[in-house]
Amino acid sequence: MDAVVKRLIKEIKKDGDEKAFAELVDLYKDKVFQIAYRMTGNHYEAQDMAQESFLRAYANIDRYDENRKFSTWLFRITTNLCIDRLRKRKPDYSLDEEIKGTDGLTGYAQIAATDQLPEDQVVTLEMQEWVQKAIVSLPPKYRSAIILRYIEDLNIQQISNILDLPENTVKTHIHRGREALRKRLKDA
Amino acid sequence: MACHKDYEYKLHQYLDGDMTETERDELYQHLDTCEECAIHYKELKKSVMFVQSASHIEAPFEFTEGVLKNLPAKKKTKWWKKWMRQHPVFTAASIFTVLMAASLFFSWMEQSDEVLTVAGSQNVEIDHETGTVIVPEGKTVEGDLYVRNGHVEVKGEVTGDLTVINGEQYLASAGRVAGEIEEVDQALEWIWYHTKRIANDVFSLEQEDE
Repeated sequence: MDAVVKRLIKEIKKDGDEKAFAELVDLYKDKVFQIAYRMTGNHYEAQDMAQESFLRAYANIDRYDENRKFSTWLFRITTNLCIDRLRKRKPDYSLDEEIKGTDGLTGYAQIAATDQLPEDQVVTLEMQEWVQKAIVSLPPKYRSAIILRYIEDLNIQQISNILDLPENTVKTHIHRGREALRKRLKDA
Repeated sequence: MACHKDYEYKLHQYLDGDMTETERDELYQHLDTCEECAIHYKELKKSVMFVQSASHIEAPFEFTEGVLKNLPAKKKTKWWKKWMRQHPVFTAASIFTVLMAASLFFSWMEQSDEVLTVAGSQNVEIDHETGTVIVPEGKTVEGDLYVRNGHVEVKGEVTGDLTVINGEQYLASAGRVAGEIEEVDQALEWIWYHTKRIANDVFSLEQEDE
């Protein structure tokens, strides 16, 4: 994986190779989209943020230091974009909102379905909705730490690199995030 | 709620795997006896599990195509900028060469404006009609003689080098030039002459040092 990523980045740095870039996007799009979706809480903004992340990565690829992990650099772009967006946005978007032009389809339908039976899926979707609401209710700085820790499954050091915060600060954000989640989810 | 803020902090330390074995044993013992803390721990653990179980979503269909469509148009001039950044020494050297060549060329252009100039000696006759500098018979030019935009006739003696730019030199049978005779007619030759002179200066300086 790392060797592949290194080769792709070399090609992109050399002459802006779009094919290599497409491969790179395919490798990371799910993770980037996931972070964006959990941060913004809705499909459309998430797509916007994820796309913008890749475009910025492409435009600034010369600034990427190959001695560091590419995912760290990319996820930092994504979380920064999302936090910026959350700061700027006025009306609160919701998953319950009907997606324009889809005739009754809400944001939850965009969550990838698992291979479960339809009845279980209803429960799962309700659960998903509830968990997502709890995540989105967190203040952005706790939210990003929790998402990277428990959804992207990264360790404290990696999160500290991505968020550009000292490890102890990351830990504090995770502690507070966990406490806030506990208060929301304890009655399940 | 945990019975004490300290224990709440310890629970988080535990969840982060930041505990020594003794600290962990101590916490286990406490959880066995303190119901409040045990419930707090269970709730935390449950919340984490909920978040972890949040299904992994995928990027929308044709996401990559969407990104590619929005890429900026490729800049064609980029390669040489990059090359310059990667080879700063070559870049500096070629800029230097171009500037040097240009300055030599322009100074040559300035000099070729038909004015006859002589440098080097007083013991010469100048015939302005034919544009000729004559070193008369029996006269000696001490050191180098340097003539620009004119011919030179040497009937006497030059103890140094003779250099003629944009002109010709005639050495009469009785005439003598102790040093080298050089005729420079074209810009390139003139530049070559300068380069040689600089090299010679550097070389002789080194020799003097020794």
